[in-house]
Amino acid sequence: MPNSLAEPWYNSKMNPVIEVKNLTKVYGKRSNAFTALKNINLTINAGESVAIVGKSGSGKSTLMHLLALLDKPTKGTIEVDGVESTKLKARKLNQLRNRSFGFVFQQFFMNPNDSVLQNVTLPLKIAGTRRKERHELAEKALKTVGLSERVKFKANDLSGGQKQRVCIARAIVNNPKILFADEPTGNLDSATGDKVIKLLFDLNRKKHVTLIIVTHDEDLAKLCDRQIRISDGKIVEDTGTKAVKAKTTKIAKETKTKKGTK
Amino acid sequence: MRFFETLRTANHNLFRNKVRTFLTILAIFVGSFTIILNVAINSGVNAFIDEQTAALGGDNFIMLMSKDSAAMMSEQMSASTGPQEFTEKTNTIGVLSDTDLETLKNIDGIDADSFYSPTPLNGTGYITSSKTDKKYNVGSAMILPPGNFNIPLAAGTLVDQTEEAKQKNQIVLPPEYPQALGYEKDEDIIGQTITFALKDEFDGSFKEFKAEVVGVEANGIVSSQFGMLLSRALYDEMYTFATKYYPANYEAPTYYVMATFDNTRFTEDEIKQAISDAGYYAWTINDMMGVIRTFFDVIMIVFSIFGGIALLAAAIGIVNTLLMSVEERTREIGLDKALGMSSGRVFTEFATEAILLGFWGSVFGVIVAMLIGNAVNFAVHQPGAFLEVFPTFELFKFTVGNVLPIVIIIMIIALIAGTAPAIKAARKNPIEALRYE
Repeated sequence: MPNSLAEPWYNSKMNPVIEVKNLTKVYGKRSNAFTALKNINLTINAGESVAIVGKSGSGKSTLMHLLALLDKPTKGTIEVDGVESTKLKARKLNQLRNRSFGFVFQQFFMNPNDSVLQNVTLPLKIAGTRRKERHELAEKALKTVGLSERVKFKANDLSGGQKQRVCIARAIVNNPKILFADEPTGNLDSATGDKVIKLLFDLNRKKHVTLIIVTHDEDLAKLCDRQIRISDGKIVEDTGTKAVKAKTTKIAKETKTKKGTK
Repeated sequence: MRFFETLRTANHNLFRNKVRTFLTILAIFVGSFTIILNVAINSGVNAFIDEQTAALGGDNFIMLMSKDSAAMMSEQMSASTGPQEFTEKTNTIGVLSDTDLETLKNIDGIDADSFYSPTPLNGTGYITSSKTDKKYNVGSAMILPPGNFNIPLAAGTLVDQTEEAKQKNQIVLPPEYPQALGYEKDEDIIGQTITFALKDEFDGSFKEFKAEVVGVEANGIVSSQFGMLLSRALYDEMYTFATKYYPANYEAPTYYVMATFDNTRFTEDEIKQAISDAGYYAWTINDMMGVIRTFFDVIMIVFSIFGGIALLAAAIGIVNTLLMSVEERTREIGLDKALGMSSGRVFTEFATEAILLGFWGSVFGVIVAMLIGNAVNFAVHQPGAFLEVFPTFELFKFTVGNVLPIVIIIMIIALIAGTAPAIKAARKNPIEALRYE
């Protein structure tokens, strides 16, 4: 939370949420070995919105999977909130993913025959939250995405845009620090896609959720504070520092303006 | 996740594909139904045999007789042998002399105090009541043997064994006599007075004896062994009359002796061997029950084989159902794991589904087996049906003790069958699973 203007809440030096060092990922063995990522170094800060951009096969999805701790690096380390992930036991790792991450996928991945409520409460059910609390939190999350009145609907009966909003509700229901979105608008037309994007950036700005979007859509990538471009398993461009500075200035300006009007 | 949560989720997932789940449950149902009927008939037969055994005083009951008598008895019992050539041996009822009885009493393991030799009433006689004009044969009649004889009764009590009561003329009737004597229900004749008549062999007249009915025997294998049970007073009165033309020093011959042996020290075979070595023959409860046991053992073996094969098929059905389910739900498993579900819990959920399949299949098996078993129990005791004469013989006996273990065993079999699919589900890699089309 911002305490003063001199110390913005997302200050990169203060709050790295993910730190990647010398990350290499190799699939297969010996002659079949394929190096998907080569020696990646990266720091993602709390409150940033980051776009990981690249063509298909560039390694961007692999990077996201590794950042989300769904896969193990061949070499190198990934620290989440200062905790070295490869040293975590399976149980702790599951807990970390469950509590700190939210996921939005291009293909939604909903359980089509379950109700909207059941879909949204899934991460809480996994966490072992009590039923009553689960329902309260799910209703809150559905309110955030503007689908309060669809609680009892079967997931399959929703439109594509509504489905993705339910997925966002599912992703934020556990109040995660980091939201991973894998081509979130890939299956949507541009109008509904825009709504979903607005929702994601609202969460980033108002609730200070760190947003990591994997996309090949340049327009979507431009909306993020920072773009990381991947090609052949290497970072070829990272606009990191500049963007954070720009944002700092922008938010400082906004706050000043507000102060001035008061 | 808490226990009920897991159970509810598993049940919910199970009934997503209703037809497939139903068919799998049906397969388990066939196996459990067969096995539960098998166990029930086993319990029913054993309970009946136990009851009949208790009527004779328990497992340690033996009947002692000469080898000649035994040979004649087995000759008579094997009906298919046809007329046998005369030899003195096979046509002699061996009478046990006082010396014989002494020898038998001295065999180690036989309880000398338990010796009891019932003397049946001989003579021509009939039984009737004030409610009927008809007269009926008496059949065999004897005093209730002392000791731990637990004859199953349809109504009333056994003849009182107290000294005071022995002075009264009391009788316990064999099955079906109450109806013949004009009473609708067995209970109705209790406390009523009936009439015995014995023929005076010299002048052809009939002498009447009055007796109070205190009990009615239930039908069973051994009730025919006892016939009418008389109180000491009634027996003595009738015996004196029946033997009044006999020589003064007449003593009824002893054909066989009922006794007990020490079954804590000797097995049945050991005591039989010892008696055989001494030159006599012993007939045990198991000899008596052997025929009925063999008959039902065959039924049970056949049932068990069918049930086992059905369960094996059902177990393969469970494996198949769950493997299909794991494939269908690959993405869902991937999502669950991405959202932090542990492999252990994925395993637990699928294993729980397997257990639930076993549970539902066996519960339906129990319910239908109980419905059919009890219907058969009812049907076989109808007039003309094969167990009509044994009203206490519950052919299919269902108890918590015999049904619950079957349900649990089937659930365990289901769990074992579900293990491979559950491991397959637990091993799914979330990334691979989410990529799966």
